[in-house]
Amino acid sequence: MSNSKLYKGSLTTIILKLLNENDKMYGYEITQRVKELTKGELKITEGALYPALHKLEAEGLLDVEVAKVDNRLRKYYKLTESGTKETVNKLEELAEYIKTMQALVNPKLA
Amino acid sequence: MKLTESQIQELYAFTRQHFVEHYDLQTELVDHLANDIEAMWEVQPKLSFEDAKNKAFKKFGIFGFMDAIDQKAKAMNKRYMRYFWTELKKWFELPQLLTTIALFLVFYFTFSTSYPAVFALLFYGMIMVWCVYKSIQLNRQFRRRKEISNKKWMLEEMIFKQVGGTMFIFLSQVFNVYRITDELLSNTYLLIGFSLLFTALVLVNYISFEVIPNKAEELLNDTYPEFSM
Repeated sequence: MSNSKLYKGSLTTIILKLLNENDKMYGYEITQRVKELTKGELKITEGALYPALHKLEAEGLLDVEVAKVDNRLRKYYKLTESGTKETVNKLEELAEYIKTMQALVNPKLA
Repeated sequence: MKLTESQIQELYAFTRQHFVEHYDLQTELVDHLANDIEAMWEVQPKLSFEDAKNKAFKKFGIFGFMDAIDQKAKAMNKRYMRYFWTELKKWFELPQLLTTIALFLVFYFTFSTSYPAVFALLFYGMIMVWCVYKSIQLNRQFRRRKEISNKKWMLEEMIFKQVGGTMFIFLSQVFNVYRITDELLSNTYLLIGFSLLFTALVLVNYISFEVIPNKAEELLNDTYPEFSM
């Protein structure tokens, strides 16, 4: 996608949604999964991902786990209970938004 | 192809060169860069470690690790404040509530005597001296911890250093105590107000210079699963 501004506001929703489906994930894994799911259309940049993750952690929506993998430490993120609830809210918000945009862009379909 | 132990250490050094001071964030970024480098090697096995590293770093954008550092600091600050409020709340619940009330009464009665201004200055001086003493002590402790473990954790630094600094700003604002006159404190509302202010001053400083640093291990273990790894 050429215009990255379009999905910037959805970054947290994407993260929450992925964690909702995958129990726990680490940063790099998230970037790769998004690339894979969207067939490279959408790339989460490293510069935006970590700040978003840390923010969600501070808000109590994510919890962390650390494991030794190969010869290094890996930090995993997973949803807390309130994170799971927030995921539902965020997804509803996004769906609502998509519907609104649909009505604007293509009134016949709405 | 996997990264070697020494390459991992090189990545740690690389994050330090790019202003990531704290081990917690370094670890996360090192793992990310390492994953990316290994993925590049799968496609281009001949790519040198240096080149792969620089390529991986470029993906963080022109600000490099800066946004991650900022956001991490904000997140940690939030966490620290949460611990702080949890501790403060305890002073308004039994049994500690009795101490809080006693403290308030001490200030209230001494400020009700004929020399409230002198007492205000005296108490203020005592609190200030204790805070200076504590912050020097904690600073020293922090340095020693770092020497032993060779690692610096963001929350650890907040517990032992940074927040002490904020308290001083707070204290310096209250320095207006020298303007407290005896007449001023003859007003009952102001008397109660100042007694409350001093009680708060004692509690806030006691919690940030004594209670929280004493709990450092517990809080760090709670925050960083890797702390005792």
